[in-house]
Amino acid sequence: MVVTAKSMDGKEIGKVEKHYHPQATNCRDTKERYGAQWKVANLRDTSLQPNKTKAETIEFELPAGVRAADVTVDLVYEDVNPDNKYPIHSITKRVSLDK
Amino acid sequence: MKGFRIMLVLLMIIALPVAAAAQKAKTIDELATMYDASSCKSCHAEIYAAWEKSHHARPLMGVKGGLMLTPLALKKGEPGSTAFSEDSPKKMTVKNFPCFKCHLPQAVISAEDSVAVELAEALIAKDSAKVAKLQITCIVCHNTKAIIHKRELGEPEKGVLYGLKDVASHGDKTYTKVKKSAIMKDSVFCGQCHGLGPNLEFDQAFQCANLYGSYLHNYVSSGGTHTCQECHMPKVDGKADHLIAPNFNDDKGTSELLAKAINLDVQTIGYEWLRKAATYVPKIVVETKITTTAGHRIPDG
Repeated sequence: MVVTAKSMDGKEIGKVEKHYHPQATNCRDTKERYGAQWKVANLRDTSLQPNKTKAETIEFELPAGVRAADVTVDLVYEDVNPDNKYPIHSITKRVSLDK
Repeated sequence: MKGFRIMLVLLMIIALPVAAAAQKAKTIDELATMYDASSCKSCHAEIYAAWEKSHHARPLMGVKGGLMLTPLALKKGEPGSTAFSEDSPKKMTVKNFPCFKCHLPQAVISAEDSVAVELAEALIAKDSAKVAKLQITCIVCHNTKAIIHKRELGEPEKGVLYGLKDVASHGDKTYTKVKKSAIMKDSVFCGQCHGLGPNLEFDQAFQCANLYGSYLHNYVSSGGTHTCQECHMPKVDGKADHLIAPNFNDDKGTSELLAKAINLDVQTIGYEWLRKAATYVPKIVVETKITTTAGHRIPDG
């Protein structure tokens, strides 16, 4: 998931990535491995779990003089490598500090 | 005596094909022929067409034309080689490809080591056409993997396919009968290959899919009741979809399937945070909530 905040002139204010997937090592060192032939067991699992909500709170401080931003949340599935992407959802919301 | 000789000859003639059938395949072509399911196509055209697009039809190809077993075929010590690699492809055996457990189950019971050598050489030569001949065909699921209670029910019978119901007379030359499988509608059937976790039964442990473990321990335990087949093999025109989606070679279809299973909720607020007296920090807060209807962790396989 990539959360990006941009000012009204399109300048990026901030960007946060969250990665949801099981992470395995070969159990002989602490390096994460991809590929069944190298992995032995999961060390950490941040993946999306059935019947559980994955909730995040992400904060961006706005630069001086900026009172509004467009926030885009892109949820993307990556398979085999980070370049092989399957877009799932993209939601953009405008946030203003002015009432 | 003459009658006895005739009987003996007749018995030998009858016994020959049986012995031949029990022999293991020496080549990729022989193994492919042994498990060939092309005759299924004439009567089950829609199911066959869906299967042809599925990952089951290209279990050694990976995603988008890859040859995912290549690291095993590389020479030991070569960059990218694995603990399963040997000094030469000529030394490869069926045991050097533990992935066969699920990616080509028929090789475990029906292939000589020469098939492993031929596969290793094909992988190194990037001979996709040859590797593509090795498939998880109809026969693998509807015969080889159809029985898990072998002590009670015996081994899958030759000439018999296993399905959702008994069919006394099945119009195929080789598979003349269909018997009802005890497990074909159940998740455990898929769980045979779609993984509980690390494969610790091998002399070099490794981990592929964890999907069935996730299903059992996170989905069923939280009250989930759907089977793998209900979600991944929905009825299309009254027949189970043998595409068994996702098909990761289909970008659009995969995105649509994921979007159907995964919900994203985004809420935002903007305000001026009073960090300390007279010091306002303009801030926006993004709250995201992801929920899924899948019966297993995402991602997994």
